[in-house]
Amino acid sequence: MLDELTTEAAVLRVYRQAFAVLAREAGAMILDADLIDVDEAILEAFAAAGSDGLTAAEVVAACHRFDARVVERRLGVLRDYRAISKVVDRPNAQHYRAAFAPYIMLLFLRRLAERGGQSELHQLLTLEHLNVSHQDAVAGDGQASVSRLTKVFRLLANELTSLVQRGAAEALRENAQLLWGNRSLIVQAEEVHAVVLGRWPGLGSQCALLRISLAAYGDAIEAAAGRLIEQAGATRALGFLSAETWVSFARRSDTETLAAVLDSFVFDAPAPWLSPQALAEAVESARPAGGTRSRPPRPDDSQDVAEKDLMPTDDTAELQATAERLLGDRGAASVAELLDEAGDWPTGRRLAAEMIAIHHHPDLGFELRWGDGLRIEAESFPSWVSDGWFGRLAEAPQ
Amino acid sequence: MNQAETALWWARARAAGPQRIPPGGPTPAGMLRLPEPDGSGAWLLPVLPDSASAAVLDELGLPGHVLEHPNDTARVLAACVRCCWADPAGPLWPGVAAPWEQVAAAFMAIVGREEAVSHRALLAGVRRLARSGWLLWDEGAPAIRLGPRVAAWNAAQLSTLREMCRSMPSAGGEVPGHPA
Repeated sequence: MLDELTTEAAVLRVYRQAFAVLAREAGAMILDADLIDVDEAILEAFAAAGSDGLTAAEVVAACHRFDARVVERRLGVLRDYRAISKVVDRPNAQHYRAAFAPYIMLLFLRRLAERGGQSELHQLLTLEHLNVSHQDAVAGDGQASVSRLTKVFRLLANELTSLVQRGAAEALRENAQLLWGNRSLIVQAEEVHAVVLGRWPGLGSQCALLRISLAAYGDAIEAAAGRLIEQAGATRALGFLSAETWVSFARRSDTETLAAVLDSFVFDAPAPWLSPQALAEAVESARPAGGTRSRPPRPDDSQDVAEKDLMPTDDTAELQATAERLLGDRGAASVAELLDEAGDWPTGRRLAAEMIAIHHHPDLGFELRWGDGLRIEAESFPSWVSDGWFGRLAEAPQ
Repeated sequence: MNQAETALWWARARAAGPQRIPPGGPTPAGMLRLPEPDGSGAWLLPVLPDSASAAVLDELGLPGHVLEHPNDTARVLAACVRCCWADPAGPLWPGVAAPWEQVAAAFMAIVGREEAVSHRALLAGVRRLARSGWLLWDEGAPAIRLGPRVAAWNAAQLSTLREMCRSMPSAGGEVPGHPA
């Protein structure tokens, strides 16, 4: 009785020590995974310290990476759970030593967190296989083993099935590690089952239960995989992980790792076809796009000129009259004389222009002849006049 | 060369474009062997019958390989053809290596844009074409050559090209076929 109590106390102590790393404070679970790191640092410090142990201050100094208050609080929790205890159990003893169970637990938790417990399951199955194959094993061992495996696979299958039936696809994706490597789990379990059934045929009913639970697990996997694939569509494999996981994979992987992702894919080489016709068209179409585009012709806004305005003006009669008026009954008159008659320069100017026009008119029988002389009268108008005569032609065509 | 090896070469050509091989050795069935002018190697170019080439896709109005900026890329290739085609009376391959500046001038004469814009379009076009085997150019190299795929153009298409080269705006006044 006392033995049993002692044994129970010892078992409880191991449980408590193992639980210590997960305890936030006495009686509560941790909320922050980083606290595990603090625990690990503390236990490392103890491992390095040797058999003399460490004082609380030394532990804090050794764990200087972390805040001193956090370390002290963790020390308190570990002490409460007896994960660390005094080297010498006296009230004023300062040195502590650590038990190994918490560290084992910590390693186990780490592995569980990293691998999702998959490899633990594999190891468990291997151990079970060794156990039932051992020559000293009895029917009770076989039964216990089969019963444990039945429970493990039942629990797995139940979790998956409930996720498939009720959970959101996201929850299923987060728990996708339950799906990975599952075939070999089932194969291993079947090996254990075969050994047990071969050695102890009397355990047939338990073995049938194991077979059923394995089949249930297999069905649950099929259903979950089907659901995931249906939800993920064509990019089925990408849907297995959250987007953040892919991003960090892409950021942290080296070139070879990234390239290995596409190992089983074949891509066509870039092979756009360019026909000479397309080349010629592209070259042709580039030209108007150049900066030297010319202005399109503008519509002509001005009014059409009336037709009569386009006819050549005929001032023969006017010029004839002017010539007759200038000459009167004279045959000819000198230019100086005519200008004197005009009186002032504006009139004289017009007169000179009219005489030249009359001279050049093909139909009029008048002429303007210029000589070499020059009349200069500085004071009067005009101040100088070339020697010239305006008169009728000898044989006028009229 | 047996059937399996021929199939392997065709698969390589499909996955990686025209293949460069060392001189010598057999030529897989249905492929054109294009020796480098200096004899340092040869290119294997798959030759498809006219009824199975990419031009058929155009005729049927089906989407072919997607090409970014198809017009600019075609103009870049046109500029390269004009600069690298040593003898417009003869075949296009292998042509001669044309300095980058000459190609750039020819391209600018076609597009008539600002120099910076045109250089960007040219570089992008040359990269695209070099990737797909239309040009031979290493990143940053000073000269450009025509790639093996130009050898796939047939005689009728070459006459289109000749006409195009004749009518192309000249850059720097050099005579077509006599690059500086």
